[in-house]
Amino acid sequence: MVKSIVCICVAALLLACGALCEWAILKNNFNGFQEELITLTRKLEEETANGEDAKAVQTSWEERKKSLHVWIPHNDVARIDDYMSETVRLVSEGEYALALAKVEIMSHLTECLPGTYLPHLENIF
Amino acid sequence: MVLVMIRTAIIFLVLLIIMRLMGKRQIGEMQPFELVITLLIAELACIPMADSSIPLLYGIISVVTIYVLHELMTLMDLKFKPTKSLISGKPSVVINKNGIDDYQLKRNNLDVSDLIESLRSAGYFSLDCIDYALYEANGTFSALPKENYESMQPSLPIVMIDNGKFDKKNLEITGLQQSFFEEILKDNKVKKTKDVLVLTADGTGKLYLQVKGEKFRTLNVEYPGGKTW
Repeated sequence: MVKSIVCICVAALLLACGALCEWAILKNNFNGFQEELITLTRKLEEETANGEDAKAVQTSWEERKKSLHVWIPHNDVARIDDYMSETVRLVSEGEYALALAKVEIMSHLTECLPGTYLPHLENIF
Repeated sequence: MVLVMIRTAIIFLVLLIIMRLMGKRQIGEMQPFELVITLLIAELACIPMADSSIPLLYGIISVVTIYVLHELMTLMDLKFKPTKSLISGKPSVVINKNGIDDYQLKRNNLDVSDLIESLRSAGYFSLDCIDYALYEANGTFSALPKENYESMQPSLPIVMIDNGKFDKKNLEITGLQQSFFEEILKDNKVKKTKDVLVLTADGTGKLYLQVKGEKFRTLNVEYPGGKTW
């Protein structure tokens, strides 16, 4: 009986810790990436961005996604990967308008994706 | 992660309710919640293992959630009597001193032929040689036979009427006519065949007759032409 209760408590505690870690890691990574995207968006709007800027955001994303792969489905990470690669190419070629569209999609994804892992009614069912 | 836990708990509860509603036929030597866990755990472990787009952590979280639910169910099963019957169900007495309890059979989605099959598996061939029979909460079958029950089943009883309908195949096997049994029913003041829950006949001429909602009767008759089997 005591053993069972201890086991339940330990397992529940592990689950709770895991849930907190997930929430903190997702928030930290997506918020950080969002800020980088905002900076890139501003530069694209001013048409001052260059390939190096986009490449820096991509490198930062590559770092962030290493920990994200543990917590969220890899397909969601891959969606941002695709848009990021396109953005780097478009910025290098000076296609600012097209690059801006891609960055906006990424911004939208970084806003929405963490919410899809929260225990809201629409996510549960 | 909380999402995975909630979804796992919901699926677990839904499956448990469904298994309880399906009755004892579906279980077979496991408590309903144990069967649910057996059904779930293989899939939960397998999907993240085979699908590389799903983090392995999702499988681990689901399995740990199942473990917590299992421990909680076991605790409730052992310590709180009212929840025990809710989670695991109660044994159903399907045969008592009055014969077959049709209501209990229906509650467990079973019919007379299922009961007779269970009796045969337990080594009892005649319905009247049993005092009590029950389906345990885990789906296993237990029976308390009468004293000297072996002498009460000299020949294999065959079902002639099952839940108000003649079994044509069994009539053919025995070579007896439907009208022969209809006469017997009339003699025993049974107006319609559909009122009969079960009528079995063995090779020595012993009939087991139970009308719905009444106590069973055993009759001894002589078959036309002295047939036996």
